[in-house]
Amino acid sequence: MPESTFLDSTELVLNMGPQHPSTHGVLRVILKLDGEKVNGTECVIGYLHRGVEKIGENRTYQQFAPYVDRMDYVAAVSNGLGYCLAVEKLLNIEAPPRAQVTRVILTELNRIASHLLWLGTHALDIGAITPVFYCFREREEILKIYENYCGARLTTHAFRIGGLQYELYDGFEEQTKAFCDMFLPKVDEYEELLTNNRIWVGRLKGVGILTGEECKEYGVTGPVLRAAGVKWDLRKAQPYSGYEQYDFEIPTGENGDTYDRYMVRMQEMRQSVRIIRQAVDKIPSGPIMGKVPKVIKPPVGEVYVSIEAPKGELGYFVVSDNSTQPYRLRVRPPSFINLQALDRMVRGGLVADVVAIVGTLDIVLGEVDR
Amino acid sequence: MGKLFRKIFLVDLFQGLWVTFRNQNPKYIYTEQYPAERPKVAERYRGAPRLNINPENGETLCIGCNLCALACPEGLIVVTTERNEKTRRKELTTFTYDTSRCMFCGLCEDACPVDALELTQDFELASYTREGAIWDRQMLEEGPKPTRYRC
Amino acid sequence: MADEQKPVGSEPPPPKPGETAAKPEPPQAAAKPAPPKPAAAHAAPKAPAVMAATPWESDLTGQVKDRFGEDISEFATYLGQNFLVVKPDAVIPVLEFLKLEADFDYLVDVTAVDYPSRAERFDLVYILYSFVRNERIRVKTRIPEGFRPASAVKVHLTANWLEREVFDMFGIEFDGHPDMRRILLPEEWEGYPLRKDYSILQQDEKWVKENLGIESGQ
Repeated sequence: MPESTFLDSTELVLNMGPQHPSTHGVLRVILKLDGEKVNGTECVIGYLHRGVEKIGENRTYQQFAPYVDRMDYVAAVSNGLGYCLAVEKLLNIEAPPRAQVTRVILTELNRIASHLLWLGTHALDIGAITPVFYCFREREEILKIYENYCGARLTTHAFRIGGLQYELYDGFEEQTKAFCDMFLPKVDEYEELLTNNRIWVGRLKGVGILTGEECKEYGVTGPVLRAAGVKWDLRKAQPYSGYEQYDFEIPTGENGDTYDRYMVRMQEMRQSVRIIRQAVDKIPSGPIMGKVPKVIKPPVGEVYVSIEAPKGELGYFVVSDNSTQPYRLRVRPPSFINLQALDRMVRGGLVADVVAIVGTLDIVLGEVDR
Repeated sequence: MGKLFRKIFLVDLFQGLWVTFRNQNPKYIYTEQYPAERPKVAERYRGAPRLNINPENGETLCIGCNLCALACPEGLIVVTTERNEKTRRKELTTFTYDTSRCMFCGLCEDACPVDALELTQDFELASYTREGAIWDRQMLEEGPKPTRYRC
Repeated sequence: MADEQKPVGSEPPPPKPGETAAKPEPPQAAAKPAPPKPAAAHAAPKAPAVMAATPWESDLTGQVKDRFGEDISEFATYLGQNFLVVKPDAVIPVLEFLKLEADFDYLVDVTAVDYPSRAERFDLVYILYSFVRNERIRVKTRIPEGFRPASAVKVHLTANWLEREVFDMFGIEFDGHPDMRRILLPEEWEGYPLRKDYSILQQDEKWVKENLGIESGQ
């Protein structure tokens, strides 16, 4: 250690995390501070690295499906959808219509659940304690639907390659509709609590601005990109699983600041409810499982399939060598890539804003580290 | 002017407080009194594994086909069988299931051709030792016996 | 995990207690890192051993061909997904050209695939997307072990962490990268886990012992 007193140091290095309540997991951010001002950051990640891609290379295609739920564990169903679509593409098959509609309903519910968790914890970071209870209360209703449907609440393993394993339970439509009816007023309630709240506005407006150009430069997707005014959503741009049949809008923001990202996510929840309502009304009858061989051996080839997960573009790059196990399975995690923009967003801001920005990125460390 | 009014009279604050106040209604109590009251889990809940027995004669339904062990991503099921020379059939000797590594994905249940292996609604799987999480055939057939609390 | 020391305990002894405890992977996984051939190999008729990709032609391929000529060895499409195979040295110019003149301004992903039996061991894959065209393409290149491909950070900022991850997992070092360090694994870790010769059970025992104070992480 060089001899120096703390008085002559102009830069203070502060460790935030990995055990820090508002890093949403085990993210470690090394902050270089000049007083209250952040001069630079460095993210140290990997604390939750489980080698998901290596595991994927050593499991059969069906066996790997439960593992993808454990990446972005607050949006497990979306992960499962992306993986199933990728393998289905590799096999060049499609799930039957009934399965597709069910998948849409469940993933949209999942989007709401993920955004609710984000909203609750984000508000908690900013200092509003009330919303977290309300958000978890409503999220509980979604988890109950999952529990009734597939028997698990969080890591659902709801979808199988080629369709679904479980037939819809009696009362699924009613429960989902009841949830939609109950939920929309609740969103208004959250907005009542937060949108005009002066602390909330003061902490979020103009904080962590990321423009559309910067977003593209950093590969940032999802609500963060849309808040910057780029009207891009994979559900519209490259529809999958029958999303082209539904009527919904892509909410966008203008300034690309934290407040806009909040507004975009609130709107997205409303749009998800809209999609769910349309989908529940037209669940077709028919089989739920496509023609999939018992032993899945896709022909030699590679595909990249991506979906709009709650956090952004979630992609799977699967290389097959005509064996029962993927030759290479790469996950393109939205959280990992969005987190890279953290440095740009916090530079020049205040320490307190770091918490707001980490929250607004909506990262899940299970997905960042895989 | 309106903005100033809102600012002076703390309209946003009272708006928020009103939402909080509305939710004080005891109708909205969500807390579960576990363990005094056990929560009711869904019918399809994937919890503790169970090896079903035929209720009529108490014999196991398992035919020892090993499909569950092959389907399991974690490879935590070990099935051993013995050939019965009289009936010329495979008979189950032991069945071990390591719940400590189980992620309750349900693939074993799906793979079972005779519905012998099943994930049930029991969700209390804690044990005092690591070895306690490895369930043998007897444990799988009887199911876990969690402590019931009287309150 | 203390799986190794697991005694059989109170259970009636299963015939292979050691196996239940110390077998974290299904047998076929532990056997070989190379493409394993499990028991069910008899099912489907033999499919071709190479990807059944068809040539791909469009305005874009014409433009790229005019510009780069021999540097591009293949334009192909598989299941509706287009990709081009580029000589290693031409990757960055191609990415730059695609970004500036063909609007492929969003680098989705950078990844690698390991083929240990091939002379050019790694496939380096860049996935690009164009917001204007609503189109995806993949730029692939084949590089031998030890080759240092140029970094794409100057073209796309996203490449920073993605290339670090490729380095972390495959040991491919990128030339001109501002911060070529491991990203997910600890700095001192030995070996590159996603290479095919790195078995799933393998790990840096020394590191685990020194830093975690346990015999084995398995």
